[in-house]
Amino acid sequence: MTQTLKVVGFICDWSVDLAPLSDGGRLREVPGVRVIRVPCSGFVRPNWLEDALNRGADGVFVTGCPYGDCLNREGNFLMRDRIDQLRRRLQRRKVDPARIGMLAFGLHDGASFLAEVKAFVDRIAALPPAPPARAAGRAAVTQPAQASEGERP
Amino acid sequence: MRSIYVVGIVVLSGLSLLFAVGIIYGEATDQWFLGGGFVGALLIAYSFIVLLLRQVGLIGPRKTER
Amino acid sequence: MSTVATGQASGRYARLMTSLLRGTLRLDVLVNKLYPTDFNPLYYTGGLSNLFLFTLVLSGIFLFFYYDASLGESFASVQYLTDRVPYGGIVRGVHRYAADGFIVGILLHLLRNWFTDRHLFARDNPWISGMFLLLFAGFIGFTGYQLVWDERAQLLTSMFVAMLRSIPAAGAALTRLFIGGVGISDGTLVRILFLHIGPATALYVFLWWHYVRQRHPKIWPPGVWVLFCVGLVFLLAGAVPVTRETIPAATPAASPTRFPMDVFFLIPFWLLNFLPAGVVVLLLVALFVGGLAIPYASRRETPVEMGVRHSGVAQVIDGNCTGCELCYYDCPYNAIVMVPSPGPGLSKAAANRSLLAVVIESRCVECGICIGACPFEALELPKFLERDVLRQVGEAVQA
Repeated sequence: MTQTLKVVGFICDWSVDLAPLSDGGRLREVPGVRVIRVPCSGFVRPNWLEDALNRGADGVFVTGCPYGDCLNREGNFLMRDRIDQLRRRLQRRKVDPARIGMLAFGLHDGASFLAEVKAFVDRIAALPPAPPARAAGRAAVTQPAQASEGERP
Repeated sequence: MRSIYVVGIVVLSGLSLLFAVGIIYGEATDQWFLGGGFVGALLIAYSFIVLLLRQVGLIGPRKTER
Repeated sequence: MSTVATGQASGRYARLMTSLLRGTLRLDVLVNKLYPTDFNPLYYTGGLSNLFLFTLVLSGIFLFFYYDASLGESFASVQYLTDRVPYGGIVRGVHRYAADGFIVGILLHLLRNWFTDRHLFARDNPWISGMFLLLFAGFIGFTGYQLVWDERAQLLTSMFVAMLRSIPAAGAALTRLFIGGVGISDGTLVRILFLHIGPATALYVFLWWHYVRQRHPKIWPPGVWVLFCVGLVFLLAGAVPVTRETIPAATPAASPTRFPMDVFFLIPFWLLNFLPAGVVVLLLVALFVGGLAIPYASRRETPVEMGVRHSGVAQVIDGNCTGCELCYYDCPYNAIVMVPSPGPGLSKAAANRSLLAVVIESRCVECGICIGACPFEALELPKFLERDVLRQVGEAVQA
């Protein structure tokens, strides 16, 4: 069951040591989980989590350092608050809050991290299946083409 | 596990009562070092009670740092 | 860090620092098994030092009202305070042991932030101010031992004068400044009292400097540790009274040669057993200057050398910024300031803005927290763009 799930994890460079755990962007023990390394858990924009869910991921989670020990002082606290807001926002659209997770583990906490990820995936597996992937259109701010590339004349 | 914590809280509460009696004894007999030392022991007992209450889950983390 | 740095780190210092970092974080895992993360004392070493400083200030104010700064009276006034004033001895002990706790807290804070690389690059401001805090704390502790004016204080003063004299050119003048004239007099004790209280006040100025680049500094430990530390200080003051070491009062005739040691403040004076005064002064200066140089002189100067991700300083995309101040509130280093907008933005949401976010490059640590804070796509890390992330998300979902 867990094999068919697609879970995207954003993992802070400074939290769990992924070298022994992952293989080409996947967790070895939980192959359904794809990991994306980010410089700090606070770097993740909640829009991206929403986007991943819209594009057909069954769940998303963010992993930061233990609370109180963020390398950048408060990235994980901020991310936890943003994820709480995102859950409330998505709940109104009938997305189960269990599909979004916030984890916090240090460099040497690989074992507890894996256990927590497995529990997270199992919780999602027990949910009714998610609606099929919607178009990847993003309800973001309208902007002129190429505005964010800095190539305007 | 929870019952161990509860037993710990009860034991520490008893101890802190003893320390409080010690403070009063030190004050009554003008042994100030004894009384002051018991103040410290009482505060340390309180700190462990707070820790156990947190482990049991009766008091949560501070709101900003949940 | 975790995967990249260990592979590339070369050089003995870099390898040592990496193993120290791993050791520190391993210790955290152990402590977190005992205490929940919000109670972990190692996450609050700075707050613990601040708690001890607060205890010192309160007990010091109490002691100040009983202290008499003159050669004949100071030892007697301390004796009176200890023996006759209710709980005076306890407060004196609290002042003494809280000072020890203060130094221990500062050193833990220093080592932890050193080993976990929180002093590098844009984050040198707390490190430099912290070195000054450490210097002042050590000096205040030393003058505190002099204030009692027992034989130890007398010997300490003569040793310190010897250290001052050994400074070339300025030595004699500094000595005259310190003892207030040619010989030790009542004026000397007044000066020492000021040199105890004045720098202690200055500590708060340095603390302002320490905090100035930080949003929401954690300046107070959790309640459980407030109770524990204050309790420990009181318990020690009661169980190991300061009167345990009986040192006779200083007299001009006495020429003491030994005194009970204190490992927290008097180590330089212990070194005088083996080294000439000039060498000790040189050693202290070298320690201080070396401490100031640590963030700059270490081999791991650049993120590339350290092997950490180098994302580049966050850039504001002018056309998208709406001036909503969200990044300004979330930046942990006060690196983002809001300036009056020179003109409207390009996107619809930014059309009516009155403010514009600007990143101060020298303060940015490239963590990307502002990118997560911005709902308008107005911030980017130049070497890890939003479209890179979205491409990775796409690949992850397709695969």
